[in-house]
Amino acid sequence: MPSKSLYCKHKHVSDSVLKTLIYLAAAVTVVVLVGILGYILVNGVPYITWKFISTPYSEMNPDLKGILPMIINTLYIVVITLLISAPIGISSAIYLTQYAKQGRLVRAIRFTTEVLSGIPSIIFGLFGYTVFCVLFRLQVSILAGCLTMTICILPTIIRTTEESLIAVPSSFKEGALALGAGKLRVILGIVLPCAMPGVLTAVILAVGRIVGESAALLFTSGIGYHMPKDFFRQILTSGRTLTLHLYQTAREASTPDAMNIAFATAAVLLILVFLLNCLTRLVTKVLQKQ
Amino acid sequence: MLQATLTNERAEHKRATANRIKKIIAVALGAVIALSFFFPYIRFVFKDSVYALSGLQLATVRGMRVAGPQMSGLVTIPLLTRIAVIAGVALALLGIVLLLLRKPVLAGTAYILAGITPLIVLITTSNIQTAVTSLNISEISVQYLWPFLGTLFLGIISAVLCLWTQGTERLAESIFKVASCVSVGSVVVITIYILVTGAPAIAQIGLGEFLFGREWAASSEKFGILALILSSIAGTAGAILLGVPIGILTAVFLSETARPGVAKLVRPAVELLAGIPSVIYGFFGMLVIVPAIRTFPPFQGNTTGDSLLAAILILAIMVLPTIVNVSETALHAVPISYREASLALGATPTTTIFKVTIPAAKSGILAGVILGVGRAIGETMAVIMVAGNVPNMPSLLGPVRFLTTGIAMEMSYSSGLHRQALFAIGLVLFVFIMIVNISFTYISKKGVQMDAE
Repeated sequence: MPSKSLYCKHKHVSDSVLKTLIYLAAAVTVVVLVGILGYILVNGVPYITWKFISTPYSEMNPDLKGILPMIINTLYIVVITLLISAPIGISSAIYLTQYAKQGRLVRAIRFTTEVLSGIPSIIFGLFGYTVFCVLFRLQVSILAGCLTMTICILPTIIRTTEESLIAVPSSFKEGALALGAGKLRVILGIVLPCAMPGVLTAVILAVGRIVGESAALLFTSGIGYHMPKDFFRQILTSGRTLTLHLYQTAREASTPDAMNIAFATAAVLLILVFLLNCLTRLVTKVLQKQ
Repeated sequence: MLQATLTNERAEHKRATANRIKKIIAVALGAVIALSFFFPYIRFVFKDSVYALSGLQLATVRGMRVAGPQMSGLVTIPLLTRIAVIAGVALALLGIVLLLLRKPVLAGTAYILAGITPLIVLITTSNIQTAVTSLNISEISVQYLWPFLGTLFLGIISAVLCLWTQGTERLAESIFKVASCVSVGSVVVITIYILVTGAPAIAQIGLGEFLFGREWAASSEKFGILALILSSIAGTAGAILLGVPIGILTAVFLSETARPGVAKLVRPAVELLAGIPSVIYGFFGMLVIVPAIRTFPPFQGNTTGDSLLAAILILAIMVLPTIVNVSETALHAVPISYREASLALGATPTTTIFKVTIPAAKSGILAGVILGVGRAIGETMAVIMVAGNVPNMPSLLGPVRFLTTGIAMEMSYSSGLHRQALFAIGLVLFVFIMIVNISFTYISKKGVQMDAE
């Protein structure tokens, strides 16, 4: 504590100045958000038509400027990534909370999860490119993008699931154990169902991360824009997600028409992010009610 | 009593039979893995003809004589490929033996390793591909995917069966444990890869030349990244200088002064700000901030708008949610008694906030700031869209190139030393991030210790 009294002489002036600053800062934050949302939505929403969402894209043909292939590519990446990453992440959260004793392994897992969440996505992109595209010979393909994203979202899933597993009251577990159930049965039958809203939150957060990701996918899943013909061929070819489509169209746009495509894509992305955000909120509310 | 013993015996008998079946299947699958190496499982497609090689051939044949119109040469099969093929057979057989010797855990490990060996074959045969390509005759492609996936799955299934003979509980624990090692494994592999791919260029260019060289010109093979490093640092510092005061004050607003109703509106706004994809920030910056800088009267004529300043403004917005969230959590954690004591001494609420609450939460706030630094230094797409991407020394109104954008800009068309230099930039960026990360861990640990006191 400083030796001078907390009761300052210039209290009145500094007090009101500081108070104004606080309100100003909060106002700046809100205004920035409203500004970005408003700007994108006002300019983008008028161009979102059913045709825009349901037609393929072509760089040559001015009639084909839809985003259907990008929506499908994004879906592919979300689904495949979650299919790989969710089981690994949830199992690892179960191990950390239910089995592991404090030790070197647990410390290593905690540390590496933290490190993983701090690595910027461009590094994931470089890594994914050298390992999955070049070394594993997947070329620049959706599958390579999925494998890269799997590592990207692992920390999100592990940490959120872990928190919800810890929150399950231990009396539930003890009750089940006392009735003679095995440990695995307790985990799968009692702990995991109780933590389900948390697991769901983890998955939704991961979906949000994948939908918004661009730098890690630029070199791994690439910027192809062709309509998928069959599933297996498609995941082995390059395909751009909505974010990369926005990036490409915004950079290459020379005409107002092209800019409108970028605006509409940005608006679709924002609406998607907003819906995912609402979904998280809803699930968290359910969790709190329980 | 008698009946109870009988049921027990029956259950015991049932379990023993089940275990025997699992064992038999695991042994059979192991045999399939071992045998698969004697069937053709790698295909070289060369011009129009297809050569299917079995594992045995791959391990014993000296190489392939490739003849073209001008050149011909012997393409040898790499030693590592041979070792991997032999190891695949040996490990599968070892798994069978260990299982019969009643060592299921070791047998499972052997099976998993046997399942992974094709991966090494896959990686090492790329040498064959480069050798053939360098002879300049024809493209050769190696088709491999299905046998590789097959072996991997067989290995995993038989390993699971091995462990299952010890009971479901043990199996589950092992599976959970292996899954949790994935993140450890990825970090180790990423670190190794970034080092391995980044080091050669640094060795070739020279560390001093690379880090402190002022010129980056790929066409004349000049790879100095001082401008990129300084731009990254300047951009991050500027974003933090702008973002931190606003962020902390917003956090104060949310946790201390706002009425609950207002906070309920502002908090989701901050959360939404965190969820907006970085491309959208870049898009917004490109269309709003860049033209605003270009037409801002004092700057007019001096700048095109694509500048360090634009990057700083966008990054400041992007680090806001991180700083607000972490600082708010830290402020919430300050015990209410601190505030009460200060107020009881006659301090005003505002004085209490700035003299008591914020100092008490300072380690948490610092952690938030460091997280913000990490986010700003690693941001790519938003910066690439507003910063102009010319590798200049940083100046507020001039176009600059960051470390991250340096990689992203040239990756698609680079080759040779140029590409290696990009990987080396990745290494430098990785080192920066690790320093940020470790100081974050250190500071948040210190915060926890302080709370414990």
